[in-house]
Amino acid sequence: MTLEGGARKSVMVANGSVSGFLARAWRGLQKTGVAGQIVCLVIVMSIFAIGTRGRYLYWDNLQVILSLAGIPAILAIGIHQTIVLGGIDLSVEGVAGMCIVFVGLLLKNKLNTNDIGLWIVPIVMGAGGIAGLLNGLVITRVRIPSFISTLGLSWILAGIAVYINKATTVPLLDTQIQGIVNGSFLGIPLIALIALGLALLMQTVQDKTRFGGYIYAIGGDEQLAQQAGVRVNRIKIMVFVIAGVFYGLTALALCTQLGSAHPRTGSNILFPAITAVAVGGVALTGGIGGAKNAALGALIVTALNEGLVLMSVSPYVQQAVNGIVLIAAVALTIDRRKLGFIK
Amino acid sequence: MNDIGSSTNPEITLAMTGVSKVFPGVVALDKVDFSLRAREIVGLVGENGAGKSTLMKILIGVSQPDEGTISRDGTQISPKDPTDAIRHGIGMVFQEGTLVPNLSIMRNLFLCHEPGFQKMGFLSRREMRKAASRLMEEVKVVADVETPISDVSPAERQMVEIARLLWLSRLYGQKCPVLILDEPTTVLNDGERTILFDILRTIKKEASVILISHRLQEIVENTDRIVVLKDGKNVTELPSSHAHISEIEQLMVGHTFSADRYREDEQTPAGGEEILRVENLGRRGAFEPISFVVRKGEIVSLVGLVGSGKEELCQCINGLENAETGSVFLNGKKMLMGSPNGAVRAGIGHIPIDRRNDGLALGMSVAENVNLLVMNRLTYAGFVSPSRERKNARAWVDECRIKTPSLGTMCANLSGGNQQKTVIAKWLSSRVSLLILDHPTRGVDVGAKEEIFRLIRKLAREGIAMLIMSDTLEEDIGLSNRMLIMKDGRFVKEVSCPPGKKPGPRDIIDAIV
Repeated sequence: MTLEGGARKSVMVANGSVSGFLARAWRGLQKTGVAGQIVCLVIVMSIFAIGTRGRYLYWDNLQVILSLAGIPAILAIGIHQTIVLGGIDLSVEGVAGMCIVFVGLLLKNKLNTNDIGLWIVPIVMGAGGIAGLLNGLVITRVRIPSFISTLGLSWILAGIAVYINKATTVPLLDTQIQGIVNGSFLGIPLIALIALGLALLMQTVQDKTRFGGYIYAIGGDEQLAQQAGVRVNRIKIMVFVIAGVFYGLTALALCTQLGSAHPRTGSNILFPAITAVAVGGVALTGGIGGAKNAALGALIVTALNEGLVLMSVSPYVQQAVNGIVLIAAVALTIDRRKLGFIK
Repeated sequence: MNDIGSSTNPEITLAMTGVSKVFPGVVALDKVDFSLRAREIVGLVGENGAGKSTLMKILIGVSQPDEGTISRDGTQISPKDPTDAIRHGIGMVFQEGTLVPNLSIMRNLFLCHEPGFQKMGFLSRREMRKAASRLMEEVKVVADVETPISDVSPAERQMVEIARLLWLSRLYGQKCPVLILDEPTTVLNDGERTILFDILRTIKKEASVILISHRLQEIVENTDRIVVLKDGKNVTELPSSHAHISEIEQLMVGHTFSADRYREDEQTPAGGEEILRVENLGRRGAFEPISFVVRKGEIVSLVGLVGSGKEELCQCINGLENAETGSVFLNGKKMLMGSPNGAVRAGIGHIPIDRRNDGLALGMSVAENVNLLVMNRLTYAGFVSPSRERKNARAWVDECRIKTPSLGTMCANLSGGNQQKTVIAKWLSSRVSLLILDHPTRGVDVGAKEEIFRLIRKLAREGIAMLIMSDTLEEDIGLSNRMLIMKDGRFVKEVSCPPGKKPGPRDIIDAIV
């Protein structure tokens, strides 16, 4: 009897400490603000780990996931702020196409003798930034909703890009930037570390600067923010400029990773990026979610797609899965009280 | 020099002199004087439309006076906008609130005035937390300062707004901030109300407060002085210690009360036939279950303050909102709830308070608006017939005496009164059996008001049942056969208003306030 009682007691203690540990861990997770996303990532990875009998969790596969997640993460970090603001930026494919033309012209390649090396980085950032400025000006001065104006700019720039470049594929010979984009540090892909760095940078800006706070104020209620004295238009323009700068970096990383520059290289990157932003928990109604959400969202979406590839699921089914994931993610994050009518 | 120590005559910190404001068709303020002493709580009372809000809007720079001056501590000021007003230490807590819902208490407190917390471009969260916690202690809010405003109770939101205004005034070096509270207690429960007034008494040590409220009891109990406005004019002011609620009520309503203005002699007795029957209609948080009937040709007035639930009740009847309990019968047939389209088909017309946005298609012509609901009757062989359209529109424009250059004139170009008559014409032509009139005479001039009263009498003669919510108590009493009084979501009492034996406003205001 006593033995039994003692055993039960010890089980209870063990139980108590386990649940206590879990509760503490959950509280700790919640403090990060991305608890749901981390749990989601763990679930996705567990399912594929079981589905592939552990192959999914091999280090080389995790490396692949990280290297594939880097570029979507950079892009998602750029886009998400325009969504937090209460708008959206759909111009990335055109802006990226334009930047890729610059890369093909200026970086060491097979078709001309230019070789500006690392200077290409500020150039693509500048080109993207100018495109973002155009977006911002059209939205704030001409007062056209970002949904339409950015889509328009995307088509304008994509058209011009193909026209200038005459739709030729420019093989790149530069090794310096390719070395960075495809390289790794201590086994971790550099592109993933760059994305992590950018996520931390933007998260700090959002948490620790006045500018960052105003983005959320505008996303929460533009009119009230204006009444409080926020210079709404200026903040909006800055957010779109920053988004453009991120698109420039995305474009550079994309074509150097491939080793060739073609203006259509970036023609399928918008949808996964929006999915990533939504999956990361950035509310499409604005005002909620930060850079960490966008980056994690990109990681979740990449982990999901990589798992489907590993299990040899048809790419068409993959596409359908992504569509379902987008709608599900928006359904979970959207604040319907803010929407009078669903258009 | 004034004796600073005496509490009876401290310095005047804010003075508005001879302030006038005219809106098209309405004199909102007529040479109003208003002054505020340092460390004083003043109650500002008056009926809806007496000019309280306009006066306060001028004070915080939302609108500019046509005439008159504002002086603050002896120097003349003219606030351009709320941000400018706060630089002079004048801030207002609005009913609807000005806090951004997704930001934390802390971020809202300092929104747009953060530079003091900045170190090398980065905000010091620790410093902000410290300052925010101190402010929250002052106004007795216990919530963590990083809680988003959307998770905070209405009472605490008000406290946060008050704290923000106090902090901003200090930031701009104002020694005696002026806080304007517009109906602060409507969203509060009794306990919260007590706390609010406790805090106001504490704040009074360093600030002046203007309190706007319909609850005269709390005005008398918690203010030092009461200023009464009526029809945009100063009526009087009196010290709260000597004030009686009944006296203030009388001052608010005034004595002028003309019977013929509302064409009382044309009032028709209610017919026997029931048009509208409401049974146990209720909606949680808005109004408690209520039952009543409106008979053929009867005008029933719904009376109550903002927040009494009468607006929500009407929205449930005309299908804009869905009720939780009960049912509505029109002409004996049970209606589908929550369907505006169903309500129109059943024969319920609705003349909304905001006719420019909800009542009319401003970009369409008078004829198109009048014919809007009866298009299917104006067809010939399946197509809309232009000649029938013209005939129908012409008939109703003449009938309602709409002053318009032509049938094709855009409604946006008509005066407020003629717009309202167009809305009425639209419903008349569609042969409704019940008409809900939501403040039908708001913002229209005296002449048009008379016309609208005439039309209402005519509608009643034709047997249309009406539910009215109007701008003033006098109008309610004058127009209606019967009044249903609501207060805080509850039906309080029914008062009948037969012609010649109408009750006075003072008999009724007790039940309302």
